[in-house]
Amino acid sequence: MQLTGDQRAILDGARGSYLATCMRWLVEWGEAMGARRLIPCDNTHAILAAPNLMARGATPATLEAFAAGLRQASSQKTAAGCYCTIHTAFVTLDEVDVAQNDATEVRLQREVAAMAADAGFIPTFTCAPYLVGNVPLKGEICAWTESSAVVYANSILGARTTRHGSESAIAASLLGLVPEFGVLLDENRRGTLLVEVSATLETTTDWGALGYFAGRIAGLGIPVFHGVRRPTQDEAKQLCAALATSGGVTMCHIAGVTPEAPTLEAAFHGDVPQEPVAFTGRTLEATYASLRNHTGDEIDSVILGCPHASIREIAGIAALLKGKRVADGVRLWIDTARITKGGADAMGYTRTIEDAGGRILCDTCPTNMRIPARRIVTHGFKQAHYARGMVGAEVIVAATQACVRAAVAGRWMGD
Amino acid sequence: MTDRVVIRGRGVVKGRAEGEALVADATLSFWGEVDPVTGKVIAVGHPLEGESLRGKVLVIRSTKGSSGTPMILNLAKLEGNAPAAFVNVEVDSLAALGCIVNGIPMITDLDRNPFEWIHTGDLVDVDADAGLVRIQMRRETQADSAAPPRK
Repeated sequence: MQLTGDQRAILDGARGSYLATCMRWLVEWGEAMGARRLIPCDNTHAILAAPNLMARGATPATLEAFAAGLRQASSQKTAAGCYCTIHTAFVTLDEVDVAQNDATEVRLQREVAAMAADAGFIPTFTCAPYLVGNVPLKGEICAWTESSAVVYANSILGARTTRHGSESAIAASLLGLVPEFGVLLDENRRGTLLVEVSATLETTTDWGALGYFAGRIAGLGIPVFHGVRRPTQDEAKQLCAALATSGGVTMCHIAGVTPEAPTLEAAFHGDVPQEPVAFTGRTLEATYASLRNHTGDEIDSVILGCPHASIREIAGIAALLKGKRVADGVRLWIDTARITKGGADAMGYTRTIEDAGGRILCDTCPTNMRIPARRIVTHGFKQAHYARGMVGAEVIVAATQACVRAAVAGRWMGD
Repeated sequence: MTDRVVIRGRGVVKGRAEGEALVADATLSFWGEVDPVTGKVIAVGHPLEGESLRGKVLVIRSTKGSSGTPMILNLAKLEGNAPAAFVNVEVDSLAALGCIVNGIPMITDLDRNPFEWIHTGDLVDVDADAGLVRIQMRRETQADSAAPPRK
């Protein structure tokens, strides 16, 4: 990779050993992925999360070593002009009565949040930065973690980011640079798989089903959806999250919606495949069935807000819960960013939800916290997919209305 | 001894490591599908579900899913549970980053189908500097010289 004199100097330690390490990460990563140079980056979404491993028997030395890395990263300064937000934590900074919210790790997360804020990061702690003000413009070069947000940024907003991990996003935040490879380049944004949709997508979760189906086939490729209407923001969020759950998708095209794909031809850069993959009504049903492994109907957990709920979703859930009561023994948690909850508090939605026995959980989600559950109902294909292994739960993926109905009944009542 | 098979490829992340192969023609996300504290694959229904990655040469199609892969790989490394090397058919940027940061060799662009030539339990030497995967010892051979034989 060709470096400028300034970049070479940073690599050689001119700005200290930590930034030299950051530069080495970007250069080696770029070389591994075929980049020829580093280019300016104005927008990052970085992971600065204390791991919640202590409750599960990790050695204290692991936490110490990891904490040292977090402190080192958050004691620097973000690059001038770079908009830097922070991904979800593995704990919540609020009081919550579960063992997984380990006090030592919460303390570490609070310390890192304060340091990171001084460094120039905005401690949003969310998996959906585009819902809390970080909305990059078309063509903006970003370095985002959170696989679902990466797909959203590229596909819905027309911004450009490869799939970043913790170290690369921190390096990009501090240096304002990213290696130029993958979807940062026009030629790598061409569709690779045509998905012809004949199923009627009615609910927000139906879009998750489409993504979950297509991601598995697309792998690391770029699916193009044809035959669908324009999704709402919440529907697009579900689609993007599911694509990056079953697959390693960086972006998709929705012909007529994705900023650079006004037509199917544009999505494929002219070369539309002859043989599309079909997403029919039957495929839709089968995709739901693949994430319903319940052996009974009694439930103990309803998780909404995967990815983190928008204010519109919270308003909708509050309306569904108004005057109702969540069944005893059922935990109804709506996961969202602290910024969004602030709005929900001010507008009375939080009160309505709490009066019904639900809770708005900030900064993380129950699966990321690894709170054990027996049987979970959720509207997120991503949540359902991972919850099976991460918290050992049986799962039922369903539309938001059916999730709320189950929460009130204390049992799965069907769609 | 069986013949030593050599597969040629491209070193994505340099280095050299030897280990027992863990093979699946599948994709894997480290966040959400691997527990760094146990080193095991926790993805329900995954062909490697329940298998430990500790010290293994991980032969899979590619990583997928969460951007937490490098972080979980780092935590697994700190816990002593990281794989010894990655042999991947396709390179996901997250596996490459995780391998760079944690000093794990990674190889791709193989001249033979690894799922046909490498089997779980084979002793494999991954030389990402030279771009070579050498199958040192077949699982059957190990079973013959040790005991008990596999069914």
